[in-house]
Amino acid sequence: MPDNDTTPAPQPNPHFHEPLNQPRALRLGVAGPVGTGKSSILATLCRELAGELSMAVVTNDIYTDEDARFLRSAGVLPTERIRAVETGACPHTAIRDDVSANLDAVEDLEEAYGPLDLVLIESGGDNLTATFSPALADAQLFCIDVAGGGDVARKGGPGITGADLLIINKTDLAPYVEVDVAAMVADAEAARGGLPVLALSRKDPASVAELADWVRALLARHRAGSHVPTDPGPMAPHSHS
Amino acid sequence: MASLASLLLGDGRLPVGAYTYSAGLEPAVAAGLTRDRIPALLRARLHTTAVTEAAAAVLALRAAGQDPADYGPVQHALTARTPAAPQREASAALGRGVHRLARRLAPDHPAVTALAALRPRPLRPVALGALGAVLKVSEEELAHAVVYDELQTIASAALKLLPGDPLDSVAWILAAEPDAARAVTAALAVPGPDRLPARTAPLTEQWALEHARRERRLFLA
Repeated sequence: MPDNDTTPAPQPNPHFHEPLNQPRALRLGVAGPVGTGKSSILATLCRELAGELSMAVVTNDIYTDEDARFLRSAGVLPTERIRAVETGACPHTAIRDDVSANLDAVEDLEEAYGPLDLVLIESGGDNLTATFSPALADAQLFCIDVAGGGDVARKGGPGITGADLLIINKTDLAPYVEVDVAAMVADAEAARGGLPVLALSRKDPASVAELADWVRALLARHRAGSHVPTDPGPMAPHSHS
Repeated sequence: MASLASLLLGDGRLPVGAYTYSAGLEPAVAAGLTRDRIPALLRARLHTTAVTEAAAAVLALRAAGQDPADYGPVQHALTARTPAAPQREASAALGRGVHRLARRLAPDHPAVTALAALRPRPLRPVALGALGAVLKVSEEELAHAVVYDELQTIASAALKLLPGDPLDSVAWILAAEPDAARAVTAALAVPGPDRLPARTAPLTEQWALEHARRERRLFLA
């Protein structure tokens, strides 16, 4: 993966975060369309990192706590450290337009189990345009998968072009869906102007290790104060009031 | 600033988490309420909980103007008049969003710092009183905003729960004007927390209790 420290840093917006008295946990969002493997990535990250980092998880589902239950049953984190936000509306509302319910959940976890190193926030599965507001997430992964079609990376959208890390997931399925992973990665890299792309399969330990290392490096930048949260960009104009 | 501020207070697009709330409509629909009964539900809220909540917000605004600001009595009185736990929890969750906004706008304002000391967390009308002090709105503007928000919350939630022509919901709200005006007048007339009206509505409380145990909800209350 290219090092994303070399990309020009946008100006920080002082209004995005409350004044901090002490370094707080890194808030890492995981977004992407329905069924691309977001919950599985959260489970993988917990499995890889919970031994060395103090972690908590917030899941978003429209009207269930299904994803939270999945993670609790995976046994990768103490169950009380996994909270579900029932977004009630379109998932992007809760991660972008009005992040109140998610901030409440993150702050509750920090209050109960802090100091934490890393809070993972899983978006409800939406479409290619739903990304996290920097008011909620310091950084974000955007997840697509080979089974969604080899052309998805070319189609673009703010998550694909602007997320801190783009994951092309389920590469082990590529032969079955006749997708050329290398071409998909090349398409994605062309769309992202140097931001990193990771071809991931939970059955490929090297790719899992690469993902964990990326999060470790991000956390180091967050702690050093050199990571500036960026907004991948707004979604396509539409409204739910 | 105050005229824009009073409009902001009643705007559902204010990012304080209000989209998670249906003001009792979803529990009512689950209990069998039909679309043609929504105007009746609006009137019922205006005669009961809306008066209590608007009055509590006004009392909190008055408390915010004292030195030192003490929200304890109004928070206590409102808590006692919100007997269903899920309704108190929803109010506290919504109050948290309002509190966050007030902190962002004026972190050092005495009306805001006094809010932080409240445990359990400030209920929404109490937080709105503090925000109202920050925004310098009048008691009447604040009471109107609370009452209007109640109506618009139900009307907007109806689009998701009992879908129909969105233009109908505008007419419902306008038709509720006389009851809304009476609710505002009643709220403004409350002299202190000990006289906060206990306009409880047992059926909506029952529905709120049932809703809290339900899965596949769109709204928290």
